[in-house]
Amino acid sequence: MINRISRRAVGALLVSTSLAFALPAAAQNEIKIGYNADQSASGAAELGLSGLYGFQAAIEDINAKGGVLGRKLVGVIRDDAASPPKSIQNMNELIDNEKVAAVVGPTNSGNALAWLHIPQQKKVPVVSHVATATDITARYAKEPQNYIFRVSMVDREQLALLAAYAVKASKSKNIAIIADTTGYGQAATKDLQEILALHGIKPVAVEKFGPKDTDMTSQLAKLKAAGADMVVTGSLADATAQVLKSMEKMDYYPGLLSTWGSINTPLINIAGAKLAEKTIFAASTTEDASDHATALHKRLIAKHPNMPAFVSAAQGYDAVMLIAAAIKQAGGTDGDKVQKAMESLGEIQGIIKTYKKPFAKEQHEALGVADFHLAQWKDGRVVKLDNEIVKSLAAADLKR
Amino acid sequence: MPGLHHALGVTGVVAALALVPLLPLNDFHLQILFTIGVNYLAAAGLNVLVGYAGQKSLGHAGLFAVGAYTAAIANVDWGINPWLSLVLACGFGAVFGLVIAMPSVRVSGPSLAMVTIGFGIVVEKIVTEWTDIFKGQAGLYGISAPSIFGRSFTNLHWVWFVGLLCIVTHLLLRSLLRGRYGRAFLAVQLAEPAAQSVGISVVRAKTLAFVISAVTCALAGAVVAQQNQYFNSDFITFNLSILFLVVVIFGGSGSLYGPLFGAVILTLLDAWLARWPALQHFTYGALLLFSLYLMPNGIAGALANLVKRSRSAQPPALSPERSLLLEQKRDRGTGPLLVVKDLYKAYGGIVPVRNVGFSISAGKVHALIGPNGAGKTTLLNLLSGHVAPNGGSIRFRDQEIAGEPPHRIAALGIARTFQNLKLFGDLSALDNVLLGAHLHVETSFLPSLLGLTASRRAERAARGQALALLTELGLGERAFEQAKSLPYGLQRRLEIARALASRPRLLLLDEPAAGLNPQETHELGEVIQRIQAAGITVLLIEHHMDLVMGISDHVLVLDYGEKIAEGAPDTIRQDPRVIAAYLGAEDETEAQIEVVA
Amino acid sequence: MTAILQALASGLALGAIYGLIALGFNITYATTKTFNFGQGAFLVPGSLVGVSLLLLAAGKPHWGNLAPSEMTLFTYGLATLASVAIVGAIGILLYYCAIKPFVGVGGLNWVLSTIGFGIILQNTALAIWGPASIAVPSPLGNEVYRIAGAGIRPQEVLVAVVAIAVMVGLDFVIRRTRFGKALRAVAFNPQAAAIVGINVEKIVIIAFVISSALAGLAGILIAPITTASVFIGLGVALKAFSAAIVGGLTNARGCVLGGFLLGLIEALVGLWRAEMREITIFLLIIIVLVVRPSGLLGARSVEKI
Repeated sequence: MINRISRRAVGALLVSTSLAFALPAAAQNEIKIGYNADQSASGAAELGLSGLYGFQAAIEDINAKGGVLGRKLVGVIRDDAASPPKSIQNMNELIDNEKVAAVVGPTNSGNALAWLHIPQQKKVPVVSHVATATDITARYAKEPQNYIFRVSMVDREQLALLAAYAVKASKSKNIAIIADTTGYGQAATKDLQEILALHGIKPVAVEKFGPKDTDMTSQLAKLKAAGADMVVTGSLADATAQVLKSMEKMDYYPGLLSTWGSINTPLINIAGAKLAEKTIFAASTTEDASDHATALHKRLIAKHPNMPAFVSAAQGYDAVMLIAAAIKQAGGTDGDKVQKAMESLGEIQGIIKTYKKPFAKEQHEALGVADFHLAQWKDGRVVKLDNEIVKSLAAADLKR
Repeated sequence: MPGLHHALGVTGVVAALALVPLLPLNDFHLQILFTIGVNYLAAAGLNVLVGYAGQKSLGHAGLFAVGAYTAAIANVDWGINPWLSLVLACGFGAVFGLVIAMPSVRVSGPSLAMVTIGFGIVVEKIVTEWTDIFKGQAGLYGISAPSIFGRSFTNLHWVWFVGLLCIVTHLLLRSLLRGRYGRAFLAVQLAEPAAQSVGISVVRAKTLAFVISAVTCALAGAVVAQQNQYFNSDFITFNLSILFLVVVIFGGSGSLYGPLFGAVILTLLDAWLARWPALQHFTYGALLLFSLYLMPNGIAGALANLVKRSRSAQPPALSPERSLLLEQKRDRGTGPLLVVKDLYKAYGGIVPVRNVGFSISAGKVHALIGPNGAGKTTLLNLLSGHVAPNGGSIRFRDQEIAGEPPHRIAALGIARTFQNLKLFGDLSALDNVLLGAHLHVETSFLPSLLGLTASRRAERAARGQALALLTELGLGERAFEQAKSLPYGLQRRLEIARALASRPRLLLLDEPAAGLNPQETHELGEVIQRIQAAGITVLLIEHHMDLVMGISDHVLVLDYGEKIAEGAPDTIRQDPRVIAAYLGAEDETEAQIEVVA
Repeated sequence: MTAILQALASGLALGAIYGLIALGFNITYATTKTFNFGQGAFLVPGSLVGVSLLLLAAGKPHWGNLAPSEMTLFTYGLATLASVAIVGAIGILLYYCAIKPFVGVGGLNWVLSTIGFGIILQNTALAIWGPASIAVPSPLGNEVYRIAGAGIRPQEVLVAVVAIAVMVGLDFVIRRTRFGKALRAVAFNPQAAAIVGINVEKIVIIAFVISSALAGLAGILIAPITTASVFIGLGVALKAFSAAIVGGLTNARGCVLGGFLLGLIEALVGLWRAEMREITIFLLIIIVLVVRPSGLLGARSVEKI
């Protein structure tokens, strides 16, 4: 009985598949840019959501100035809910169905790694604005054309800076690594081990903790037992704050170096103003770093009062700016030409900085170690670190 | 003719797949079709486990991972050909199906959910943490897709290939589930003790269902890894396990087509909702919350109701074969069939069976009587293996069976009915009897799976015999009705028919006359006598003394777990200890009348 | 040694939270043979509602961050009561939407419906509060106290004390009061309970209110330790569920015991290798269940044939 019904139903469904997803009529006077990032499902969703605000603000600004090549920019937004299959599906939809000229995303490195081959094969430039895994831009670096770019912190770059500082600051040269078990933390661990090896140092301890853990005392006890006087963390702001709180519990304060996440307010909110001062971190921009940054921050906060991570928003904004400039330079949305234009951009005003030839054939990172500085919280504000050790850091120390 | 419609349906799907290149479909559409196929593959096997064998798993993402990582590692690290990797993935899937089945078959309910969740999480953590082998979130890339004539699969090829896998999976599962194995799975889900009593090993059935679901889930994982040429630990989440379960249950668990509906609708819905990122979670949540309220048996169940309303079921024509009852003449008066010695069973301080010994001679009707709480049913459960004794011996046809599992005892030739009916209520009367004949449907796993002619012939023969047996017991007209919709008296008789279908040498009847009216009780007596006439030894527990005295050759009396008397009905009637047991020790003379009445 | 003490201290606080939520599973399972599979989502409003009330009282927007001075034991207590009341009320909604249609119907439908309810609840919270976590100061301050070298924060003590007090109180209510008797009667046999004049549905609703309220309480209790966020629930609830199963879903004290066991084992395995915690715990659980299918203290169900 079910047979008959089901067969008809299957037929109907097959037909409706094609109908439901029929090609949307692509308006000739529009240029679509895709946004594919987790905004709702993982601990990093706040970065994806903040990034979206920046992405939208950039599109507004460009359209306010008449768009690109006289065409309006349209953002096509997808939420991959931190799930690789969903992220892959979104990518296919954006590229094949929506015919976007470029994609900005994702939030989680694991999702990016899962679909890198799709834009690469389909010749659609992608700008990663949050995900930091080194492999994202590196996987196709050897191809004639690499379609994957990044306007975000690169783990390897900031870790090179942190490692250089740790090596100089450590008296015993006993350096330890502590990182969360996510892909982010583990990629950071791997990079750090390699970078430290370039310095001729093997970490005395490498420890892991869960991304939602609140008590890292047992891991820290091992670092302490190993005699570590410098510790580098690979974790987001929340977890770094918990590491600090655990250090306070144990009354064990080695030098703690952390990645750019520490610039976000969760660190100071969770750890408290005093404890937050105990970590030194790699930083790029802050909301008051420049007039552009201040203006964007003000504008976004007015619209989205609880925007959590301004840096991600700034990166989302700059990603769109670079894409728009490349489309303009290429004179169209042809992926192959846009990719080439990306690699030969001139000077573009962004939020984080003024980009001067941000990308080249061998250089797909818009931000490098030169854009980072070491910073510290001081009385509730981020200040640039400027001590003897920082001054003594030379270019040769930044091994990577 | 359902067979014809099915063939047309499958041909239709094949034709639709063949037409895919002619449709204006881009790679996104192909990706959706591929995803539908993958979800169907995973859900089709899971449906065997959840919908047929009744084992709810919340950890099948772990098995998906097994397949995906096997395919990936076999190809990337060991350099094995993609086709072979696929086969290997199924093999590893089967092995891990066994691994998860081992703890799972021992638990049920929330504990089963816990064990499966635990399995899923352990796998998730292993592939995340053991980065030397599984590469964690960084993942394995460069996984080769299979190729034909040196050409790698394109997205269109993938749709065809997965479509083919789906059709093959569907045909295999259909053939398996419509016969002996499908019935056995359902029996395990509907009434475990009854399934055991007809010789089904519950552990083996559940394990088999786990393995089947593991293989299709692993296959789904393997094709995803190969199609995407990349796989990492982020794919494996608790949510994926939930999704597979949702596909099965939303589509309609226990229906052959449920997973298909679930996979098609949920995949399309998900893709369609993606354009409203803020809405997608709410819609998914609302779907889980309300759809099962509106459609308790999923889409397939709702559709089946629609169909049922529009037409009444027409039973397929079947010609009854020669009656089973007439065929078996085995143990007419050849000494003791069953010898029980010092049988002992205690639950804490309560001892329902205390050092009982007796013997049962072949070809006779034996009755076991005693007041409520005397331990009669426990004794029967000990004989059938549903309860393991603490001590003593039970020898059946010179073979020790004490402590053997019930399905093995059933296989040796002891069948039983239950005091509180344990029919497979959702199945037809005919299927109940076919389950009784489970051990005598002469087919094994592979022929059933492949639907070989021999297997179909065996099935047809069994159906004929079952129908004959039903006819013989006056149930022929109602063979295609649901067991639970039969009148009570007929349900009791159906249970006897099911027990008889297992061709027992010894039939244990636990209060077969309970709840019957006088007319039905009388007919029951005749049935029991016909059973005896066919050479089957009977041991019945009964309170209806008329019936007991009328048909038994030999009566055993149990009180407070001890045998207090045995002998011919007339002797028992007079026995003072029996009378005392029934009415207390004081008024022995008055009691005699009561007992007889 | 200090490290072990340190681990035990945090394990105890965590275990108390697991026990609290596990107790909620026990109460509804006993009365309806169902429980809320989406319980993790109930911790979310538990923590966020309380924190937002405090923020609003301090004249800040509801998603901001509280200064330690804006948090006193009194206001925290009030916020906790409000949270517990609101989440308890959501429990009534849960019962009518996700449980009632499926009570007494076999199968897995209630599992999916409660998961669905949880998804909606969590995403409602996401829409209101956004994905970022909100730091919550402890009402007892943030100083670290040292006991034999191990550092302990007052909030950890508070969590353990409140949780244990609530569990003991509930144990008393269930065993000694009229309501407790009615609850146990419904758990034992709903039909018989109805015959003797117990309003079964009312008892069942109260069970769901208690269960939800316990999750809400757990949410606001751990907020000063973990921060309040939309994503705090799932992991904790899953462990609590494991605690209930291992301890024995049918036995309230077993659930609490399971909670503490799990918290302690988790902390001790963490001493060895943090990344092995989940693997070890869930393998242990599987082994325990193979040996004792109804958990450590759970009643062994013998099917009557």
